[in-house]
Order: sequence, then C-alpha cells, then structure tokens
Amino acid sequence: MNCELAQEWMVTAAYGELPDEQVHELDRHLSACPGCQKEREQVLALKLLADAHPVTDPAPNLVARAHLRLDEALDTLPPKRWYERLGERILNNFASLQAAPVAALLLLVAGAGAGVLGGYEYAQGRAAHEATTAQAAASTGAQILPAASVPELANVAGISSIVRQPNTEIVDVSYNQVVPRQIEGSLDDPAIRQLLMLASESAASPGIRDDSVALLAAECRAGHSCQPSGIREALMVALRYDHSPKVRQKALEGLQPYVADDVRVRDAVLEAVLNDSDPAIRTAAIGLLEPVDADTSVRQVLYSVSNSDQNAQIRNVSRQVLSRVPEIQ
Amino acid sequence: MGGASRQDSSQDDAGRTKGRVHSRALEMDLIREAQAGSRAAFDALVRQYEHQVLRLALHLTGSEQDAEDIYQEAFLKAYRYIGNFRFECSFYTWIYRIVTNLCLDQLRRRKTRREDHAVVVDRTGDEIDVLASVSDNRSFSNPARELDRKLLGAKIQAALGKLTPRERMVFELKHYQGLRLRTIGEMLNTTEETAKNTLFRATKKLRTQLADLR
Repeated sequence: MNCELAQEWMVTAAYGELPDEQVHELDRHLSACPGCQKEREQVLALKLLADAHPVTDPAPNLVARAHLRLDEALDTLPPKRWYERLGERILNNFASLQAAPVAALLLLVAGAGAGVLGGYEYAQGRAAHEATTAQAAASTGAQILPAASVPELANVAGISSIVRQPNTEIVDVSYNQVVPRQIEGSLDDPAIRQLLMLASESAASPGIRDDSVALLAAECRAGHSCQPSGIREALMVALRYDHSPKVRQKALEGLQPYVADDVRVRDAVLEAVLNDSDPAIRTAAIGLLEPVDADTSVRQVLYSVSNSDQNAQIRNVSRQVLSRVPEIQ
Repeated sequence: MGGASRQDSSQDDAGRTKGRVHSRALEMDLIREAQAGSRAAFDALVRQYEHQVLRLALHLTGSEQDAEDIYQEAFLKAYRYIGNFRFECSFYTWIYRIVTNLCLDQLRRRKTRREDHAVVVDRTGDEIDVLASVSDNRSFSNPARELDRKLLGAKIQAALGKLTPRERMVFELKHYQGLRLRTIGEMLNTTEETAKNTLFRATKKLRTQLADLR
C-alpha cells in the first residue's frame, strides 16, 4: 500500500469507519512508515482541536420560541383538500411502481416465459392429438369432419370412441352410420347369399331371419350350390342359437340333405334332439336322423331319449326310429 | 459467571432491538396519521427531532436567528411534503436531508456575503465578539484559559468557514453529529465513497488551516 492511500485510510479509521481488514493493513504500513505515523498523529490532533468548537444543545427558550413560531405558521396554512391527498396517494403508488423497475421487469419476463411455455405445450399436445386422430382415421378410413358441416345425424349404428381435446371444449366422436342400400340378384349370387347369411345371424327382426333361413334352406334342398362353409354354417348356427322356433324349423329343414354325409350337421341335429326347447323341432330332428353304420352316436342318443326323456311323444318317436334298426333291436 | 453475563448481555441486546422496532413502528404510525392530515401526529414528530435540527443548524450557522429560520423552513417543508414520504428511508434521514440542504443553501449565501466567522450573532441581532474577554465572577475561574479556549474556538470556526459548503457539511455531520458516512451520503444525495473523499479533503484543508495551532 502507498502513503497516499494510507493517508486517506487513516482519516476514515480515525472516525471508526475503516473495515477491519483495512485497519490491519494500515497498521502494518504505519509500523513501517514514520512519515505516515506523523500524519496520523496530526489527524488525531485535528480531531481534538475541532472539539474546541463544541456542539451545544439549543437553549430551551430557543426551542420553545422556534416551536411556537412553527405552530403559528402551520395554523395559517390551509388544510389539504381531499383531491390533493388523493393526488399524493396516486403519485405515491406510481412512484412505488417506478421504484421497482427490476421487479416489474422480472414479473414481465416471468409472465411472458410462462405464456410461451404454456402455448408451446398446448401446441405440442394438439399436434400429438391430431396425429393420433389422423392415424386412427387413416386406419378406419374415416374422415374427420367439423361438426357444423355434418348433416342431420341419422341411422347411427353405434359410437366407437369419444375423445376430448385437453384444455378445450372440443370433443372428437367416432361413430358408425348405417347407410340404407338395396340390391337385387339371384339366390346363387354370392353377394345375395352373403347378405342372406348375415341376415340369418344378426337380423334384428325374427321375420327377416326366418325369410333368410328359409331361402337358404330352400337353396340347399333344391340342390343348388351349397358349399360346406357358408350356408350350412349359417343354418347350423340358426338351428343351435336362434330364438325363434320357426327359424330353427326352417334351418333344420335346410340341413336335412346333409345329415347322412356331414358329421357336423348330424351332430347339430342330435343336439337339437337332446336340447331344443320345442318338442316339435325335437320330433322333426329325430325324423331326420337315419342310422349310420359308422356312427354309433345316433343310436346312443336315440336309445337314451327313448328311455329317459320326459316327453312321451319323444320317447315313442325315438323307439320307432330305433325299431327300424335291426342291430339295436 | 461469564455465561450469566453473556446471557444478560444478549438479553439486553434483544431488549434494545425490541425497543427500536417498537419505537420505529410507533413512528410509522405517527407518519401515516400525519399524512392523513393529523396535526397532532405531525406535532409529535416535530418534538422528536426539533432538538437535533436546532443543534445542527446552530452549530453550522453560529446564529440563533439563522438556526430558527432553518428550523421553521425545514419543518414547514416537511409538513407540506409529508404526503410524498414513501418509507423508503427513515423519517430521521428524510428530515435531515431537508435540513442539510437548507444549511447548505445558507452556507452558500454566506460565502457570497463573506461574513465574519469570528463572531456569534444572538437572536436580537447583536454580534458577540468571541475575542473580547468576559469577566467571570467565580473566584476559581481562569480567565486566560477561558480566553484561549474562545480564541481556539474562533480559529476553528474560521477554518471551517474556509471549507466549501459541501466539505463543511460533511465534516459537520461526521465529526460533530457523529453520523455514519453511508447516512451522510444518503442525506446529501450522494454515495458513501464520495462522502468519504469529501471528508478526507475537508480534514486536509483543516490541517493546513490549523497548522500553526498544533
């Protein structure tokens, strides 16, 4: 440290305002610098000399006099109007804001940052949702239309999905719509047959199921092309599961040409003998059965039914069929 | 033993801190009431600080009349502008800021008028020559010492008069009023470092002026 700096520091130190580390540094310099030691002594002497001009307390008379004069002056001042006080308050509020520019700036930056981040995340979420929806639409072949552009909704077959876009009131609804169509063709036409088979399984009306099964059965009895898979399947399903006895009756009639040749058809008929709720269908199923040399299941079912069935007519019919089988007798 | 005294000391510090906080809170209440227009609250504030204001003004100016004028003007200003006080500093700093500016104006006016600083002016306007001997009826008094003291005081006052108004103010506030340099900087609307440099210049000048007295 040089002497010029030391002389500045010693004045500050004389008034007790030098930081401790600088005091230590100053002491080290003074211990090695006689010139600065003299300077310090002069500073301390000045302090003592200056005290020769001491500060005196004001006389009580002076204080009282000054206070009285002030009171008189204040009494002559008009009181502040309400708008003057209001103006001061407004200015103070503005001054408070002005006095915190850094805080206001930080608030602005934080708010802008939050807005940008929120907008970015929303845009990302929306893009992801649109990608998902587009993918789903691409897989189903569906086109996403605005709700306002869709005509009156009719023949809605079902709702497959409902998805709400996050943080919005927009909802994506995927639905299936039935479009009425009509075709005309021969019973041998594959499209007609396909529709008839669908109708035999899932037509809402038993009458439609009845018509479709009857047409299919008639085709098979007439010897028209009746592939093992397809029409026979549809008739067997109808025989096993349809609720309408008329439909089951028609299906049974349609399967009659295949009882002897098709084990699956024979089994379906035997199931009908054992389990069908309608005695007429059970009786008709028994009448369709013909003993097959290679299949003992028919004889077993007939034997069981003839002995234990609760329905007397069923027992008689089954015995009659069995009587035509010399082996059983 | 030592532990008990330390505990007492810490308790004293806590008590003093609590007292300061309490008095500060009371002062803030007074200020708010004064801002709302309460004359009684403003009067209470005046009574808190009037001695210090007069002491400073009297020592700076050496004149009771000038000190009274500065007192009047300072507190009238405070009354007029107390609504602008925003509690960013203490009321003490705020009122002292007003007083020091008024004192600086007074010192600048005196500089231009080149008044004789070797005399003191009382309220009637009579000048008291500090160099004149004063008879003392006390049997144990030492007139020579008294004269020396007065002479010295006059010389100190004269040396202080040679400083610039700003140097004079900083030296007054630091040496005679005992304020911290940081507070002085706030009052004079400057930095602590500038106040420190001003003090150094003032002491250097005083040492030169008073060299023959040492």
